[in-house]
Amino acid sequence: MRGGTIGVLLRHELRMLMRDTRMLLITFGVPVVVFPALIFLMRNVESREEQRLERTVFRYAVSPELDADARSLLRRVVEAGVPRDAGVEAGAVEAARPAEARNDATFRGDPTAPPPMPARFEESTDTSDTDVLVAPDPGDARTLRLAYRADDDFSRAAASELRDRLARVRNELRDSILSAAGLPVAPERVAAVESVNVATPEREGGALLGLMLMPFVLLLLLTGGSIAAVDTLSGEKERGTLETLLTTAATRHDIVRAKQLAIALLGFGLVIVNAANLLAYVVLGVVPLPESLALSLAPFDLVLIVLLLAPLTALTASALLLLSGRTSSYRDYQVAFFPLLLVFLAPALASMLPGMELRSAVAFAPVTGIGVAIRELAVGERDFPFLAIAFLSTALPALWISRLTERALSTERLIEPARARGTDAPPGHAHPSMLFPRHVLRWFALMWAAFFTVSLWLGESLELREQVVLNLVVVFGGGSLLMIRRYRLPWRETLALRRPPALAWIAVLIGAPAGYVTGIGIASLVDAFLFPVPEGVLEAFGDVMLGAELPLWQLLLFLAVLPGVLEEIAFRGVLLHGLSRRLHPLVLCLAVGAVFGLFHVSLFRIVPTAYLGTLLAAVVVLTGSIWPAMAWHALNNAIALVPAHMGWVGVDTRLPAWSYAVAVLALVASWTLLTGGHPRRHAALQGRDT
Amino acid sequence: MTGAGRGVVRVEGLVKTFVDEGRGEVRAVDGIDFTCRPGEIFGLLGANGAGKTTTLRVLSTILAPTEGRAVVDGHDVVRTPEAVRRSLGFHSASTALYPRLTARETLEFFAAVNGYPAHLVEARVEALMERFGIAAWADARVDNLSSGMKQKVSIARTVAHDPPVLIFDEPSVGLDVMSALELRGLIAELRDQGKTILLSTHIMTEAERLCDRIAILHRGRILGEGTLDELRSATSLHYLEDIFVHLVRGSA
Repeated sequence: MRGGTIGVLLRHELRMLMRDTRMLLITFGVPVVVFPALIFLMRNVESREEQRLERTVFRYAVSPELDADARSLLRRVVEAGVPRDAGVEAGAVEAARPAEARNDATFRGDPTAPPPMPARFEESTDTSDTDVLVAPDPGDARTLRLAYRADDDFSRAAASELRDRLARVRNELRDSILSAAGLPVAPERVAAVESVNVATPEREGGALLGLMLMPFVLLLLLTGGSIAAVDTLSGEKERGTLETLLTTAATRHDIVRAKQLAIALLGFGLVIVNAANLLAYVVLGVVPLPESLALSLAPFDLVLIVLLLAPLTALTASALLLLSGRTSSYRDYQVAFFPLLLVFLAPALASMLPGMELRSAVAFAPVTGIGVAIRELAVGERDFPFLAIAFLSTALPALWISRLTERALSTERLIEPARARGTDAPPGHAHPSMLFPRHVLRWFALMWAAFFTVSLWLGESLELREQVVLNLVVVFGGGSLLMIRRYRLPWRETLALRRPPALAWIAVLIGAPAGYVTGIGIASLVDAFLFPVPEGVLEAFGDVMLGAELPLWQLLLFLAVLPGVLEEIAFRGVLLHGLSRRLHPLVLCLAVGAVFGLFHVSLFRIVPTAYLGTLLAAVVVLTGSIWPAMAWHALNNAIALVPAHMGWVGVDTRLPAWSYAVAVLALVASWTLLTGGHPRRHAALQGRDT
Repeated sequence: MTGAGRGVVRVEGLVKTFVDEGRGEVRAVDGIDFTCRPGEIFGLLGANGAGKTTTLRVLSTILAPTEGRAVVDGHDVVRTPEAVRRSLGFHSASTALYPRLTARETLEFFAAVNGYPAHLVEARVEALMERFGIAAWADARVDNLSSGMKQKVSIARTVAHDPPVLIFDEPSVGLDVMSALELRGLIAELRDQGKTILLSTHIMTEAERLCDRIAILHRGRILGEGTLDELRSATSLHYLEDIFVHLVRGSA
């Protein structure tokens, strides 16, 4: 039944789209016509430009201060007409990257044709009308100074040409002098360099394809899908058909799925049309490919690539549909589309950066992870656990956004903004704190961006204490304060500033070490089964934490007490409070833990810190007070710091297996103390467990 | 099942609030009760912003109620919204038609998407086009039809899946006199076929002539409810307009 309804809706969506001739023309017709037109134009301009350069006569003026030797050298250079790429230097430095050299030649035209002759030079006496003025350098009379204007194409080209010729003639001169002086070997054989590209053409082709494929597909998915998206929700709203559709028996889920499928199909259609288009030009020889380009993608890798593109397609379709749902007209949509395009293109371009590796935090970045995964697959590298992570990292946001769209379809604002907020309705009683639960995650996303930027750009240049102060005091403390003030949140309730039950302190004393040890256990499990942490990373991390030669009391202050207080205020105070009304207590603790984990940027720390964050959230929820969580957090960090600082343990110290069992038991005991002592519960539990 | 019989619409203690970022909580519907039975036109009469559209949108499950419950044809609007929508046809000035579909495609789509048996859709669509006099324009695109013809297609698509309950939200807004008259005739005809009809309007004559029972809605509350005669005897006033003004002023 449901599949049937989605089918009916999808057919309907596609029929509507296919009848929009203007849309079809723009989406499919324009690229088919514009693309070859652009290629022709560019090739035409390029060849004309080349011809023009060959016919060009550059004018140069010679300063009267130039001595006779320099003049004769200059004359020899400009009159000789040394052919470009004649290989004067080839003997000395043999730049043997054959593939690249050939690529270059191929793109410029027929590779077998002789290199073009350079432009001619003509001496001019009128210095105001010359491209280059040759004069002795005021500081060193033996150096020739070529004065040119960088804002003038001719002047720049003339200077560059003259400089190249001078360099070649200089080399010849030097070599002849060296030979005359009796150098026992040919001068060009001294320190000769030869570099050889050992990558197979297939791998090189794969690398090129992997680099370009995802951004190419993404751009087309977005532009093609966008045209469907704007019609399918913004358009429905503008035409007034959305309300009609929402009163049919189709579920929101079916409506959203059908619309997403329509968007994805249109985007995908555009990818196919353009790929076929490109292929046709390659086959027809309109677009020359580098001769050495070879591609041999195993069918299995191709399947994996297509699989990886599926969540990307879903994510773009969901995001476009959500955007369309959140905007009330075509115009609104168009305004909002550009930022969305940037939001997608930035991570897509990030995946093109050199040195990206899938086996890193990159795998967790939506879109970027897919791009890097495809790059690796295209050169035949399959890292299955991380391929799965990259897949999920994009698929999960796609699902989440699609849920948001379904929810957006149930909100009054979607249908008719003006009427839902009827002006003659009685006035309400707003308090900004009512909006906080809906905004809290945005604030933390902002804080995360600030935190990430700080660690990325300033991490190297700041010393430990400065980093701690910037992150903890400014980002976490300042961010929390801003949120409390902006939403006029009640201090005591938000930060759970209440006296905890006395047993909670004992629970902390038992629980913090137990939590620390079980955390190490979890980290080892992650290391063993998910992503191994290189030893070097751990050492580097240890160095950062302990290498700062601080006295122990400062180390404890900056790395145990301050995080204990300020991170608790931000995460177990403000964040927990903001999310508490919307989530089940268990989900709440996991969510707070997950957000906390994401703030510990390096990959190997995410899971253990998320675990600690979850435990701390549970402490606050169970005791209704933030104080035990602060103590637990500070104690946890102190346990991590002191033994290492004192040199009692090293990076390679391993805990005995029984210690984990003891820790689990201690954690259970701590939990019992926290739940059993008739504690005052956090608001998150009120009304839920009675 | 929920206790209400086939085709019955029952609303109990219905509250709908909006959170407006500027003004905070707004109570658009503030605790209303009414029941509407098959073969009856029940009118919600009120000024703009009285809560008529919000009530009808809750009944058609576009909006979720904040408090209270509403049952349509035995289905709860919160628990089984799809079943509710399958049981009703919703028509308002803002429920537009797809301009790029033909009249026939429009009816086929709405019958199919509302779960009308696939093998009966074609016959149903033919019958509707005959009955509403749109057969001659069946294959013309909707955006090429006259506004009167669009109106007919719109009513036909509302009843395409033959639902027991029909909701008309301000149906005659924007229509000329003759079109409005024709529309009222169609609605009365549907009532006579045994459909349960809920209709909102701010036009007194429309309520007087068409509705079997009327609820006067003001600021989200029902100020008076009954047949025109019951309202007259309760207020000792004759004209509906006077009754309306009397009740609204009395509530202030």
